[in-house]
Amino acid sequence: MERLTRVSFTNLEKVLYPAARVRKLDIIKYYIRVAPRMLPFLEGRALVVNRFPDGVMEEGFYGKDAPQGTPDWVRLYHTYSETAKRELDYVVCDDLDTLLWLANLAALELHIPLARVDNPDYPDMILFDLDPQPPTGMTEAATVARLINSKLEERGLNAWVKTSGKRGLHIVAPLDRRNTFDETRAYAHEVGIELANETGIVSSEKGQKKPGTIYIDYPQNGHSRTMACPYSLRAIATATASVPLSWNELDGLDPSRFTVSNVPEKCDPWRGFWKKLGKL
Amino acid sequence: MSDDEVSPPGRSFWSGTVSIGLVNVPVKLYTMIRDQSYSFHFLRKRDGCPLRYQRVCTFDKEVVEWGDVARGYEVQKGEFITLSKEELDAIRPESDRRIKIDKFVHYLGVDPLYFQSSYILGPDKSGDAYGLLFATLKKKGMAGVGRYTMRTKEYPVLIHAYRGALILTTLRYPNEVIDPGTIKDIKELKEPSKKELELAEKILDNLTGDFDIRDYKDTYRENVEKLIKLKLKGETIKVERPETEEVKELMVALEQTLQQMKKR
Repeated sequence: MERLTRVSFTNLEKVLYPAARVRKLDIIKYYIRVAPRMLPFLEGRALVVNRFPDGVMEEGFYGKDAPQGTPDWVRLYHTYSETAKRELDYVVCDDLDTLLWLANLAALELHIPLARVDNPDYPDMILFDLDPQPPTGMTEAATVARLINSKLEERGLNAWVKTSGKRGLHIVAPLDRRNTFDETRAYAHEVGIELANETGIVSSEKGQKKPGTIYIDYPQNGHSRTMACPYSLRAIATATASVPLSWNELDGLDPSRFTVSNVPEKCDPWRGFWKKLGKL
Repeated sequence: MSDDEVSPPGRSFWSGTVSIGLVNVPVKLYTMIRDQSYSFHFLRKRDGCPLRYQRVCTFDKEVVEWGDVARGYEVQKGEFITLSKEELDAIRPESDRRIKIDKFVHYLGVDPLYFQSSYILGPDKSGDAYGLLFATLKKKGMAGVGRYTMRTKEYPVLIHAYRGALILTTLRYPNEVIDPGTIKDIKELKEPSKKELELAEKILDNLTGDFDIRDYKDTYRENVEKLIKLKLKGETIKVERPETEEVKELMVALEQTLQQMKKR
């Protein structure tokens, strides 16, 4: 059989999500299926992955630096990390083989920065990370999401929504890279303050996760911050994914429905994401 | 050398006597069983320089030459009684020079599970006594039972006629053999039903044949040989691991995705 990939798969039978009985084989198959929709978001970015080689019930570890034994065909981005205080080689996932190699390493969660390595100071996305603080939940988050959508529309930006894969929502708008992180962060903060005033259920101050509110994590719009890549799996026992939605799917949304087994069949509500880029 | 050719015995590694009552048969021992698998040398990766072992003290890392090595028996964790080579040599049993035959038994009556390894016995100097012993054992189908000390162990041994020579076979002690009946899963087996038994017997009958050890070859060794031949020719080796069902599943999904991506 001709080689379709440069990756040699190992331990395919290993169960990584014990409660959901999901094996590494299932995870790799998942990433193969969502690859066409996921690769456009992974390309050209310094990845941060969360690896769980022993499954999600054990401690995972965040990987920025490419591990020992990284094949020479994997693209690396060499840079100095402020947080790690040393030179690192980030993995850049530009192709299917790299995605499969990562999946084989049990990199269940793939996190992307909002800027690409060819222009790290100018993000190509702005992110509104909505984290409902109990007792508020998805219903309230959906309301706030729609309000953010209207505000972005007024500014001439296209807003797209996805689940975080845990309990929150991400609203993302593509940018033409003429805004800095300072600008996008400031704008996200502004929107948060407006909504806090308009609705009373939004908390917009940094780290201020008031119970009963939707916390908008505006500092996520920063150099060293990352977002779960669209279609990334999460290290949740039920093997949920951060899945793109269409705006009318927000009604009665149950994010736990979207798992490794059914997400690949879902139609792609983010078609045309990169077609219209905006500017603040 | 192909698998079918038999390698010649080489030099004997021991000479002594087999004694039966007052009769002494001068003999030499030759290796009979030779491992044919490829063994490799350890080399330094970057330049292929051969490596050797050194004995190093666990605590102070000093290199210790053989002359400074003692043998230790661990009485308690970390506590040893040392024994020198001279002390051990002094207590070697007599059977390290002389194999005394205690009795003769029917060869086929010995449980083969206890056979450990076999060596060729050849005549040393005079072949008359050897030839007589050989002919007698062959005619009667009997084996002499005795004891033989090799290095630091004394073994019970059988001497019998085989393929035109006398063979010495070392045996295991009963306390070296674990009784399979002690395994819990085996002790707790259920009796199969009559029907199951009948079906199993039919299957067994279908596969019954004559045993020929020559039907079997070491395929791993053959693969190593092929690999070595290829490397000598300077060819690159493509490592093909056998594809499991799981990998096939992935390949199907991969083909679909690759098709999809081509269209974009």
